[in-house]
Amino acid sequence: MGDRPAAPELVEAVWEFLSTEVLPTLDDHRLKFRTLVAMNALGIARRELESDETDLSQDELRKLAGRIRSGDVPPDAHSILTAHVAAKLRVSNPAYLEKYE
Amino acid sequence: MHLLAGGASKEAWAVDADGERLLVRRAAGGVIHAATLSLEHEFEVLEAAAEAGVRVPKPIAYLGELGGREAFAMERVEGETIGRRIARNPPRGLETQLADELAKIHAIPRERLPFLRGGDILERFYDELDSVGDPHPAIEYGLWWLREHRPQPLPEVVSHGDFRIGNVAVSDRGLEYLLDWEFAHVSDPREDLAWPIVRAWRFGADERRLGGVGELRPYLARYAELTGLEVAEEDLGWWEVLGNVKWAIGCLTQCRRHLTGVDRSVEYAVLGRMAAEMEYELLHLVDGR
Repeated sequence: MGDRPAAPELVEAVWEFLSTEVLPTLDDHRLKFRTLVAMNALGIARRELESDETDLSQDELRKLAGRIRSGDVPPDAHSILTAHVAAKLRVSNPAYLEKYE
Repeated sequence: MHLLAGGASKEAWAVDADGERLLVRRAAGGVIHAATLSLEHEFEVLEAAAEAGVRVPKPIAYLGELGGREAFAMERVEGETIGRRIARNPPRGLETQLADELAKIHAIPRERLPFLRGGDILERFYDELDSVGDPHPAIEYGLWWLREHRPQPLPEVVSHGDFRIGNVAVSDRGLEYLLDWEFAHVSDPREDLAWPIVRAWRFGADERRLGGVGELRPYLARYAELTGLEVAEEDLGWWEVLGNVKWAIGCLTQCRRHLTGVDRSVEYAVLGRMAAEMEYELLHLVDGR
Protein backbone atom coordinates (compact mmCIF):
# COMPACT_ATOMS: atom_id res chain seq x y z
CA MET A 1 0.00 0.00 0.00
CA GLY A 2 2.43 2.72 1.10
CA ASP A 3 6.01 2.93 2.22
CA ARG A 4 7.63 0.56 4.63
CA PRO A 5 7.37 -0.18 7.46
CA ALA A 6 4.12 -1.93 6.67
CA ALA A 7 1.41 -2.09 9.34
CA PRO A 8 2.68 -5.34 10.95
CA GLU A 9 6.20 -3.94 11.04
CA LEU A 10 5.00 -0.75 12.74
CA VAL A 11 3.14 -2.77 15.33
CA GLU A 12 6.25 -4.86 15.89
CA ALA A 13 8.36 -1.72 16.33
CA VAL A 14 6.03 -0.44 19.06
CA TRP A 15 6.10 -3.87 20.72
CA GLU A 16 9.91 -3.82 20.75
CA PHE A 17 9.96 -0.28 22.15
CA LEU A 18 7.68 -1.29 25.04
CA SER A 19 9.64 -4.47 25.64
CA THR A 20 13.18 -3.09 25.61
CA GLU A 21 12.82 0.56 26.66
CA VAL A 22 9.63 0.93 28.74
CA LEU A 23 9.16 -2.35 30.58
CA PRO A 24 12.63 -2.48 32.24
CA THR A 25 12.11 0.99 33.75
CA LEU A 26 8.83 0.14 35.51
CA ASP A 27 8.69 -0.62 39.23
CA ASP A 28 4.97 -0.39 39.83
CA HIS A 29 3.64 -3.93 39.38
CA ARG A 30 0.27 -2.72 38.22
CA LEU A 31 1.84 -0.62 35.47
CA LYS A 32 4.13 -3.50 34.53
CA PHE A 33 1.15 -5.80 34.21
CA ARG A 34 -0.73 -3.33 32.03
CA THR A 35 2.30 -2.88 29.81
CA LEU A 36 2.49 -6.65 29.30
CA VAL A 37 -1.22 -6.63 28.47
CA ALA A 38 -0.61 -3.85 25.94
CA MET A 39 2.23 -5.85 24.36
CA ASN A 40 -0.07 -8.85 24.16
CA ALA A 41 -2.65 -6.68 22.36
CA LEU A 42 0.00 -5.61 19.85
CA GLY A 43 0.94 -9.25 19.27
CA ILE A 44 -2.69 -10.07 18.46
CA ALA A 45 -2.89 -7.12 16.07
CA ARG A 46 0.33 -8.15 14.31
CA ARG A 47 -0.79 -11.76 13.86
CA GLU A 48 -4.16 -10.62 12.55
CA LEU A 49 -2.54 -8.27 10.04
CA GLU A 50 -0.24 -11.05 8.83
CA SER A 51 -2.88 -13.78 8.77
CA ASP A 52 -4.19 -15.08 5.45
CA GLU A 53 -6.65 -17.50 7.04
CA THR A 54 -10.21 -17.60 5.85
CA ASP A 55 -12.75 -18.06 8.61
CA LEU A 56 -16.55 -17.97 8.69
CA SER A 57 -18.01 -14.55 7.79
CA GLN A 58 -20.01 -12.51 10.31
CA ASP A 59 -23.10 -13.43 8.33
CA GLU A 60 -22.35 -17.16 8.50
CA LEU A 61 -21.62 -16.86 12.22
CA ARG A 62 -24.92 -15.08 12.80
CA LYS A 63 -26.86 -17.74 10.91
CA LEU A 64 -25.16 -20.59 12.76
CA ALA A 65 -25.70 -18.86 16.13
CA GLY A 66 -29.39 -18.41 15.31
CA ARG A 67 -29.85 -22.04 14.30
CA ILE A 68 -28.20 -23.32 17.48
CA ARG A 69 -30.28 -20.95 19.63
CA SER A 70 -33.48 -22.31 18.07
CA GLY A 71 -32.36 -25.88 18.78
CA ASP A 72 -31.79 -26.70 15.08
CA VAL A 73 -28.13 -27.68 15.57
CA PRO A 74 -26.37 -28.81 12.36
CA PRO A 75 -24.86 -32.31 12.80
CA ASP A 76 -21.37 -31.01 11.98
CA ALA A 77 -21.68 -27.94 14.24
CA HIS A 78 -19.10 -29.16 16.73
CA SER A 79 -16.35 -29.68 14.15
CA ILE A 80 -17.17 -26.44 12.30
CA LEU A 81 -17.01 -24.50 15.57
CA THR A 82 -13.81 -26.19 16.74
CA ALA A 83 -12.12 -25.16 13.47
CA HIS A 84 -13.54 -21.62 13.74
CA VAL A 85 -12.41 -21.12 17.33
CA ALA A 86 -8.96 -22.64 16.57
CA ALA A 87 -8.59 -20.07 13.77
CA LYS A 88 -9.41 -17.27 16.24
CA LEU A 89 -6.88 -18.66 18.71
CA ARG A 90 -4.09 -18.84 16.13
CA VAL A 91 -4.45 -15.04 16.11
CA SER A 92 -5.29 -14.29 19.74
CA ASN A 93 -3.16 -16.88 21.58
CA PRO A 94 -1.40 -19.58 19.50
CA ALA A 95 0.34 -21.01 22.58
CA TYR A 96 -3.04 -21.82 24.12
CA LEU A 97 -3.76 -24.42 21.42
CA GLU A 98 -0.65 -26.38 22.45
CA LYS A 99 -2.41 -27.34 25.70
CA TYR A 100 -4.71 -29.58 23.66
CA GLU A 101 -2.07 -31.35 21.54
CA MET B 1 -4.93 7.75 52.26
CA HIS B 2 -4.33 6.44 48.75
CA LEU B 3 -6.13 4.69 45.92
CA LEU B 4 -5.21 0.99 45.63
CA ALA B 5 -7.30 0.11 42.62
CA GLY B 6 -9.94 1.74 40.53
CA GLY B 7 -12.32 0.41 37.96
CA ALA B 8 -15.65 0.93 36.28
CA SER B 9 -17.73 -0.03 39.28
CA LYS B 10 -15.54 0.04 42.42
CA GLU B 11 -12.65 1.92 43.95
CA ALA B 12 -10.47 0.64 46.82
CA TRP B 13 -8.80 3.13 49.16
CA ALA B 14 -6.22 2.40 51.82
CA VAL B 15 -7.05 4.48 54.89
CA ASP B 16 -5.33 4.52 58.28
CA ALA B 17 -7.59 5.71 61.09
CA ASP B 18 -7.04 5.49 64.89
CA GLY B 19 -4.25 3.00 64.36
CA GLU B 20 -6.47 0.73 62.29
CA ARG B 21 -5.56 -0.26 58.76
CA LEU B 22 -8.73 0.04 56.73
CA LEU B 23 -9.79 -0.57 53.19
CA VAL B 24 -12.62 1.61 51.95
CA ARG B 25 -14.57 0.26 49.02
CA ARG B 26 -16.47 2.95 47.16
CA ALA B 27 -18.71 2.88 44.09
CA ALA B 28 -17.20 4.45 40.98
CA GLY B 29 -19.05 6.20 38.22
CA GLY B 30 -19.42 3.36 35.75
CA VAL B 31 -22.36 1.17 34.97
CA ILE B 32 -22.66 -1.64 37.46
CA HIS B 33 -23.18 -5.15 36.19
CA ALA B 34 -26.78 -6.31 36.65
CA ALA B 35 -25.71 -9.22 38.85
CA THR B 36 -23.50 -7.09 41.11
CA LEU B 37 -24.61 -6.25 44.64
CA SER B 38 -24.89 -2.69 45.89
CA LEU B 39 -22.18 -1.83 48.39
CA GLU B 40 -24.75 -1.79 51.17
CA HIS B 41 -25.74 -5.36 50.35
CA GLU B 42 -22.15 -6.45 49.82
CA PHE B 43 -21.38 -5.16 53.31
CA GLU B 44 -24.29 -7.15 54.74
CA VAL B 45 -23.02 -10.28 53.01
CA LEU B 46 -19.58 -9.67 54.48
CA GLU B 47 -21.14 -9.31 57.96
CA ALA B 48 -23.15 -12.52 57.54
CA ALA B 49 -20.02 -14.35 56.36
CA ALA B 50 -18.04 -13.06 59.35
CA GLU B 51 -20.83 -14.17 61.73
CA ALA B 52 -20.75 -17.62 60.10
CA GLY B 53 -17.03 -17.86 60.85
CA VAL B 54 -15.89 -17.51 57.24
CA ARG B 55 -12.36 -16.11 56.96
CA VAL B 56 -13.10 -12.62 55.70
CA PRO B 57 -11.59 -9.20 56.39
CA LYS B 58 -13.40 -7.77 59.42
CA PRO B 59 -16.33 -5.63 58.27
CA ILE B 60 -16.11 -2.22 59.99
CA ALA B 61 -18.99 -0.03 58.85
CA TYR B 62 -21.27 0.82 55.98
CA LEU B 63 -20.58 4.49 55.40
CA GLY B 64 -23.56 5.52 53.30
CA GLU B 65 -22.75 8.09 50.65
CA LEU B 66 -19.24 9.45 50.56
CA GLY B 67 -19.00 12.33 48.12
CA GLY B 68 -22.17 11.18 46.41
CA ARG B 69 -21.21 7.50 46.12
CA GLU B 70 -21.86 4.72 48.60
CA ALA B 71 -18.95 3.12 50.44
CA PHE B 72 -18.05 0.75 53.25
CA ALA B 73 -14.97 0.14 55.37
CA MET B 74 -13.38 -3.18 56.20
CA GLU B 75 -10.10 -4.41 57.66
CA ARG B 76 -7.17 -4.08 55.22
CA VAL B 77 -5.49 -7.48 55.09
CA GLU B 78 -2.20 -8.88 53.85
CA GLY B 79 -1.66 -11.94 51.73
CA GLU B 80 -0.91 -13.12 48.23
CA THR B 81 -3.85 -12.76 45.84
CA ILE B 82 -2.14 -13.06 42.42
CA GLY B 83 -3.38 -16.34 40.94
CA ARG B 84 -0.25 -17.12 38.94
CA ARG B 85 2.00 -16.77 41.99
CA ILE B 86 -0.29 -18.90 44.17
CA ALA B 87 -0.47 -21.65 41.52
CA ARG B 88 3.33 -21.65 41.17
CA ASN B 89 3.81 -22.43 44.85
CA PRO B 90 0.53 -23.42 46.52
CA PRO B 91 0.60 -23.71 50.31
CA ARG B 92 -0.05 -27.19 51.67
CA GLY B 93 -3.63 -27.93 52.65
CA LEU B 94 -5.24 -25.28 50.49
CA GLU B 95 -7.67 -27.80 48.92
CA THR B 96 -9.33 -28.69 52.22
CA GLN B 97 -9.18 -25.10 53.47
CA LEU B 98 -11.13 -23.99 50.40
CA ALA B 99 -13.74 -26.66 51.19
CA ASP B 100 -13.89 -25.49 54.83
CA GLU B 101 -14.76 -21.94 53.79
CA LEU B 102 -17.23 -23.00 51.11
CA ALA B 103 -19.08 -25.27 53.54
CA LYS B 104 -19.44 -22.35 55.99
CA ILE B 105 -20.75 -20.03 53.26
CA HIS B 106 -23.26 -22.61 52.04
CA ALA B 107 -24.53 -23.03 55.61
CA ILE B 108 -25.52 -19.33 55.96
CA PRO B 109 -29.33 -19.29 56.26
CA ARG B 110 -30.92 -17.81 53.15
CA GLU B 111 -33.29 -15.71 55.25
CA ARG B 112 -30.27 -13.93 56.74
CA LEU B 113 -29.71 -12.34 53.29
CA PRO B 114 -33.19 -12.05 51.76
CA PHE B 115 -32.06 -9.65 49.03
CA LEU B 116 -29.81 -12.21 47.32
CA ARG B 117 -31.10 -13.12 43.89
CA GLY B 118 -31.45 -16.52 42.29
CA GLY B 119 -33.34 -17.34 39.15
CA ASP B 120 -32.53 -19.33 36.04
CA ILE B 121 -28.85 -18.96 35.30
CA LEU B 122 -29.05 -19.96 31.63
CA GLU B 123 -31.68 -17.29 30.98
CA ARG B 124 -29.38 -14.72 32.55
CA PHE B 125 -26.51 -15.87 30.33
CA TYR B 126 -28.68 -15.52 27.21
CA ASP B 127 -29.58 -11.95 28.24
CA GLU B 128 -25.93 -11.08 28.78
CA LEU B 129 -24.84 -12.70 25.52
CA ASP B 130 -27.51 -10.76 23.63
CA SER B 131 -26.25 -7.53 25.17
CA VAL B 132 -22.90 -8.16 23.45
CA GLY B 133 -24.35 -7.91 19.97
CA ASP B 134 -21.87 -9.91 17.86
CA PRO B 135 -22.67 -13.58 17.13
CA HIS B 136 -20.85 -16.25 19.16
CA PRO B 137 -22.02 -19.66 17.91
CA ALA B 138 -19.52 -21.58 20.06
CA ILE B 139 -21.03 -20.05 23.21
CA GLU B 140 -24.50 -20.76 21.79
CA TYR B 141 -23.39 -24.37 21.36
CA GLY B 142 -22.30 -24.51 25.00
CA LEU B 143 -25.62 -23.03 26.14
CA TRP B 144 -27.54 -25.49 23.95
CA TRP B 145 -25.57 -28.41 25.41
CA LEU B 146 -26.28 -27.15 28.93
CA ARG B 147 -30.01 -26.91 28.15
CA GLU B 148 -30.01 -30.48 26.81
CA HIS B 149 -28.13 -31.97 29.76
CA ARG B 150 -29.49 -30.14 32.81
CA PRO B 151 -28.86 -32.14 36.00
CA GLN B 152 -31.44 -32.59 38.75
CA PRO B 153 -31.17 -29.38 40.79
CA LEU B 154 -30.01 -29.41 44.40
CA PRO B 155 -31.60 -27.10 47.00
CA GLU B 156 -30.23 -23.58 46.57
CA VAL B 157 -27.76 -22.13 49.05
CA VAL B 158 -26.10 -18.78 49.72
CA SER B 159 -23.32 -18.67 47.16
CA HIS B 160 -20.14 -16.58 47.01
CA GLY B 161 -20.53 -16.21 43.25
CA ASP B 162 -16.82 -15.80 42.40
CA PHE B 163 -15.20 -18.50 44.51
CA ARG B 164 -11.76 -19.17 42.98
CA ILE B 165 -8.02 -18.61 43.26
CA GLY B 166 -7.49 -14.91 42.60
CA ASN B 167 -10.22 -14.00 45.10
CA VAL B 168 -8.47 -15.51 48.11
CA ALA B 169 -5.53 -14.16 50.07
CA VAL B 170 -3.03 -16.85 51.07
CA SER B 171 0.17 -17.02 53.11
CA ASP B 172 2.58 -19.86 53.93
CA ARG B 173 0.00 -21.00 56.47
CA GLY B 174 -2.59 -21.41 53.74
CA LEU B 175 -5.86 -19.64 53.11
CA GLU B 176 -6.14 -16.40 55.07
CA TYR B 177 -9.10 -14.50 53.62
CA LEU B 178 -11.89 -14.87 51.14
CA LEU B 179 -12.41 -11.64 49.17
CA ASP B 180 -14.66 -10.08 46.53
CA TRP B 181 -18.23 -10.77 47.58
CA GLU B 182 -19.99 -8.55 45.06
CA PHE B 183 -21.37 -11.48 43.02
CA ALA B 184 -23.00 -13.26 45.98
CA HIS B 185 -26.37 -14.82 45.10
CA VAL B 186 -28.30 -18.01 45.77
CA SER B 187 -27.62 -21.04 43.60
CA ASP B 188 -27.13 -24.76 43.36
CA PRO B 189 -24.07 -25.43 45.58
CA ARG B 190 -22.25 -27.09 42.66
CA GLU B 191 -21.96 -23.72 40.90
CA ASP B 192 -19.48 -22.48 43.54
CA LEU B 193 -17.87 -25.91 43.89
CA ALA B 194 -17.01 -26.13 40.18
CA TRP B 195 -16.04 -22.51 39.48
CA PRO B 196 -12.41 -22.87 40.66
CA ILE B 197 -11.84 -25.91 38.43
CA VAL B 198 -12.44 -23.93 35.22
CA ARG B 199 -9.16 -24.03 33.28
CA ALA B 200 -8.80 -20.23 33.19
CA TRP B 201 -8.67 -20.25 37.01
CA ARG B 202 -5.88 -22.82 37.12
CA PHE B 203 -3.47 -20.04 36.16
CA GLY B 204 -1.27 -22.18 33.94
CA ALA B 205 -0.95 -25.10 36.39
CA ASP B 206 -3.46 -27.09 34.31
CA GLU B 207 -2.55 -30.48 35.76
CA ARG B 208 -3.85 -29.46 39.20
CA ARG B 209 -7.57 -29.51 38.54
CA LEU B 210 -8.56 -27.46 41.56
CA GLY B 211 -7.55 -23.91 40.77
CA GLY B 212 -4.02 -24.91 39.83
CA VAL B 213 -3.39 -25.56 43.54
CA GLY B 214 -4.54 -29.12 44.24
CA GLU B 215 -6.65 -32.16 43.56
CA LEU B 216 -10.42 -32.40 43.53
CA ARG B 217 -10.72 -35.50 45.71
CA PRO B 218 -9.65 -34.03 49.09
CA TYR B 219 -11.65 -30.88 48.34
CA LEU B 220 -14.87 -32.75 47.59
CA ALA B 221 -14.32 -35.21 50.44
CA ARG B 222 -13.89 -32.41 52.95
CA TYR B 223 -16.93 -30.58 51.59
CA ALA B 224 -19.01 -33.78 51.94
CA GLU B 225 -17.73 -34.33 55.48
CA LEU B 226 -18.84 -30.85 56.54
CA THR B 227 -22.10 -30.49 54.62
CA GLY B 228 -23.28 -34.08 54.20
CA LEU B 229 -23.52 -33.42 50.48
CA GLU B 230 -21.63 -36.00 48.43
CA VAL B 231 -20.63 -34.56 45.08
CA ALA B 232 -18.61 -36.81 42.74
CA GLU B 233 -16.03 -35.40 40.33
CA GLU B 234 -18.18 -36.35 37.36
CA ASP B 235 -21.15 -34.44 38.87
CA LEU B 236 -19.16 -31.26 38.33
CA GLY B 237 -18.81 -31.80 34.55
CA TRP B 238 -21.97 -29.88 33.66
CA TRP B 239 -20.96 -27.06 35.99
CA GLU B 240 -17.48 -26.89 34.53
CA VAL B 241 -19.00 -26.33 31.08
CA LEU B 242 -21.30 -23.73 32.66
CA GLY B 243 -18.27 -22.01 34.22
CA ASN B 244 -16.55 -21.76 30.85
CA VAL B 245 -19.69 -20.33 29.26
CA LYS B 246 -19.97 -17.86 32.14
CA TRP B 247 -16.38 -16.63 31.84
CA ALA B 248 -16.52 -16.48 28.02
CA ILE B 249 -19.57 -14.21 28.29
CA GLY B 250 -17.90 -12.31 31.15
CA CYS B 251 -14.90 -11.53 28.91
CA LEU B 252 -17.17 -10.26 26.16
CA THR B 253 -19.28 -8.05 28.44
CA GLN B 254 -16.21 -6.60 30.19
CA CYS B 255 -14.67 -5.84 26.79
CA ARG B 256 -17.84 -3.89 25.93
CA ARG B 257 -17.07 -1.55 28.85
CA HIS B 258 -14.04 -0.48 26.84
CA LEU B 259 -15.72 -0.50 23.43
CA THR B 260 -18.72 1.56 24.57
CA GLY B 261 -16.48 4.07 26.33
CA VAL B 262 -17.84 3.37 29.82
CA ASP B 263 -14.36 2.46 31.02
CA ARG B 264 -11.54 2.69 28.47
CA SER B 265 -8.79 0.22 29.36
CA VAL B 266 -6.42 -2.01 27.41
CA GLU B 267 -7.10 -4.79 29.93
CA TYR B 268 -10.83 -4.80 29.18
CA ALA B 269 -10.08 -4.48 25.46
CA VAL B 270 -8.00 -7.69 25.21
CA LEU B 271 -10.59 -9.68 27.19
CA GLY B 272 -12.70 -9.58 24.03
CA ARG B 273 -10.07 -11.78 22.35
CA MET B 274 -9.65 -14.06 25.37
CA ALA B 275 -13.21 -15.40 25.18
CA ALA B 276 -12.05 -17.79 22.42
CA GLU B 277 -9.99 -19.71 25.01
CA MET B 278 -13.11 -20.59 27.00
CA GLU B 279 -14.98 -21.36 23.77
CA TYR B 280 -12.29 -23.87 22.82
CA GLU B 281 -12.29 -25.42 26.28
CA LEU B 282 -16.07 -25.81 26.38
CA LEU B 283 -16.08 -27.45 22.92
CA HIS B 284 -13.36 -29.79 24.19
CA LEU B 285 -15.33 -30.59 27.36
CA VAL B 286 -18.60 -31.43 25.58
CA ASP B 287 -16.93 -33.40 22.76
CA GLY B 288 -18.64 -36.78 22.51
CA ARG B 289 -20.82 -36.19 25.56
